[in-house]
Amino acid sequence: MVGAGMTRFGELFEYGMKDMLPMALSEAVASVDNGFDRNDIQAAWFGNLIPSDGFSTGVVADSCGLLDIPISRLENACATGNDAVRHGAMAIAGGHYDVVLVIGADKVRETSTRTTFWDWMGMTRDSAWDFPLGLVAPANFALHAARYLHESGATREHLAMVAVKNHKHGVSNPKAQLRFEITVEQVLNAPLVAEPFGIFDCTPQSDGAAAVLLVAEELASKYTDHPVWVRGVGLGLDRVMHAHKKDLTTFPATVKAAKMAYAMAGLWPADIHVAEVHDCFTGVEVIDYEDLGFCEKFGAAALIEAGETSVGGRIPVNPSGGLKSKGHPPGATGVAQCVELFEQLRGEASLQVDGARNALAHNIGGPTAASAITILSIDPS
Amino acid sequence: MITSIGTYLPTWGSAMSRQVGLDEDAVTLGVAAGLGALAGGDVSTVRRVVFVSRDLPLLEGGNAAPLLAGLGLPHTLEVREQIGGAPAALDAVLAAADGTLVIAADIQQPAGAAAVLCGAHGVAAELAGRVVRNMPVATRDAYGNRSDYADPRLLRVRGVGASLDEQGIGDRFTAVAGLGAKDAASLFEGAPDMPPTTGASSALFALAALAESGQGGRLLAVDQAAVTTASIDAGSVPVSRDQPKPQPLPKGNFTEGPSISIALPAYDRAFDAKLRLEAAKCRTCGTLAYPHRYRCLECGAEDVDTDIVPLPRDAVIYSLSTIRVPVPGLTIPYTVVIAEMGDSGVRLLVKLTGAPPASVAIGDQGRMVFRLVTVRSGVPDYGYAFYPVSADLSTTGEVAK
Repeated sequence: MVGAGMTRFGELFEYGMKDMLPMALSEAVASVDNGFDRNDIQAAWFGNLIPSDGFSTGVVADSCGLLDIPISRLENACATGNDAVRHGAMAIAGGHYDVVLVIGADKVRETSTRTTFWDWMGMTRDSAWDFPLGLVAPANFALHAARYLHESGATREHLAMVAVKNHKHGVSNPKAQLRFEITVEQVLNAPLVAEPFGIFDCTPQSDGAAAVLLVAEELASKYTDHPVWVRGVGLGLDRVMHAHKKDLTTFPATVKAAKMAYAMAGLWPADIHVAEVHDCFTGVEVIDYEDLGFCEKFGAAALIEAGETSVGGRIPVNPSGGLKSKGHPPGATGVAQCVELFEQLRGEASLQVDGARNALAHNIGGPTAASAITILSIDPS
Repeated sequence: MITSIGTYLPTWGSAMSRQVGLDEDAVTLGVAAGLGALAGGDVSTVRRVVFVSRDLPLLEGGNAAPLLAGLGLPHTLEVREQIGGAPAALDAVLAAADGTLVIAADIQQPAGAAAVLCGAHGVAAELAGRVVRNMPVATRDAYGNRSDYADPRLLRVRGVGASLDEQGIGDRFTAVAGLGAKDAASLFEGAPDMPPTTGASSALFALAALAESGQGGRLLAVDQAAVTTASIDAGSVPVSRDQPKPQPLPKGNFTEGPSISIALPAYDRAFDAKLRLEAAKCRTCGTLAYPHRYRCLECGAEDVDTDIVPLPRDAVIYSLSTIRVPVPGLTIPYTVVIAEMGDSGVRLLVKLTGAPPASVAIGDQGRMVFRLVTVRSGVPDYGYAFYPVSADLSTTGEVAK
């Protein structure tokens, strides 16, 4: 990875997809130390859940000035971003291309608040069975969180601590959507959305785009003396109906993706110095700690309580603010995590984790049935 | 002959006047009452269903198939959907051939439903008299437009009163259906116990009360000026009452929104499993799949014959969430639960019913009941909902006085 860039995340009513995509790409291009000619890009993958502004890959080609290369759209629910990175990395590793663009974008606020829930539910719910129940996105994860709290002994306070931490981290991130601190009391006293989640346990609805530039190993030095290496990628899936998931205190999709990515990277959870994990809802980040191996089963409450996942702790999680504070335009989310980790590993982050050498980005999405993970490092092997 | 009877009152409202929940309509009420009647009789003897109501959910598009599915009856039975009040329901029982399940359901308050299974054994009921006259002080047209002449005294004197005079059958009735308590008191000395409803189902609720008393007697069924009277022999038949304690209907907030979309092919593929609560049992390894699927969850056998088996209806909550954020097209708050079905190993994701949202917890026990999940682009989408045991305090014979 030789370049990375993103738009700010937020309600970007003033920008269309046609604006956000070239903005993200141009920032990525500008981040390349020794300069980068976009004509070098041989292929692109576009991570995107809901096309807006019309035909999706054509919009990328047209708006970014990439009319002469193949571009494919990739959709894998909220795991889209890191899965797009995975596709780009595989295309280079397979020897098909030397220079690849991975770009992700979504405009959640391009649909009316009246239709947003149903538009997004329609993508990920069984039409006959789960869709008509009104299993909105927060409830989708709340079913896990409620069972998790029941079995683990963790409380809503522990979930609130995740929100407090990620908001605190997000304050220093100029790209973040919600740049203000909150308290545990505010989280607990906020209106309930889908129990056990209140409004401050939830990610905002966001627009945004993010892009990373991947090149073959032997070309890296042409572009930079400080490349970030894609060491491992993984993708895991799970049964799609909640009724078919045997244990709601875990996301098996994450466990499978992590196993794959760690094995490919030749790294253990203890080797990770900083992570950007999926925290669309606070309870999700808590479960992520365990699924990713940052602590033992039902050890997440103690981990967050001890501040170990704050910047300065043993394993800082979501120094960018995470989805919770930075925002969550699904197609861009995973790519933006890699943008943050690219900066962390090069010592350029707005809230820097000192001495970070290995980093992990993680998404979990859909009906908690798809997870994608990218492991990055400043060490090639 | 009346073989068995079932009654159902929604839990919501007051003892004097029940009201339906958001997940109930005439079909779900009819199913609840019908299952009670079937519990006291031989299901295999049922040949047809007569469904009497003024609140049929659909005039086109079909109530009959969901009704049969909810009742667990074969889809080869005759179903007669009939608009009418108390006399129509009583006439349906009096005219019923053996093997007829007569169901009457009322959505308008006071809401309720009752069902009578007719067969070769039980208590005989015989037509005593009938007058079909008109005193249309209240009307409702095919489009739901109502008008009310608002003259209850006229209705009493020139409606039911004149019809009773014409027939000369006087005022000696053991039971009266289709009248409010006030009208009944002014028409008859020593007003009899009144059924909890006043529409079509009231006649069958009155039959239930007579059957429980075992004394028999004369029943009057009234609908404005139309009356039917019947003589019911002494004797008792099984009466199954699903009449939970009344509780106020929880307040909810409805958010306007687009019509919830439906894919009719998906609706069609799910129909039997969803409305009959039937799982598919893999013939290779015995694993239950709900809903049925091409490839077995456990052993991977594909496209093999499966045995369709009913799922147990007792359930325990595995996890849950109460949605309080406004969801366009729905009323909040609502609670969804994942319920474990008996010892089947099967779980279902369903809504909570019969108790206020957020009033249940992981580990709570309950049962699955037939309900309206939602209406999607004009199509009632029926399925099952979790009814907690805590709400299940049936009170036999509880009627409004």
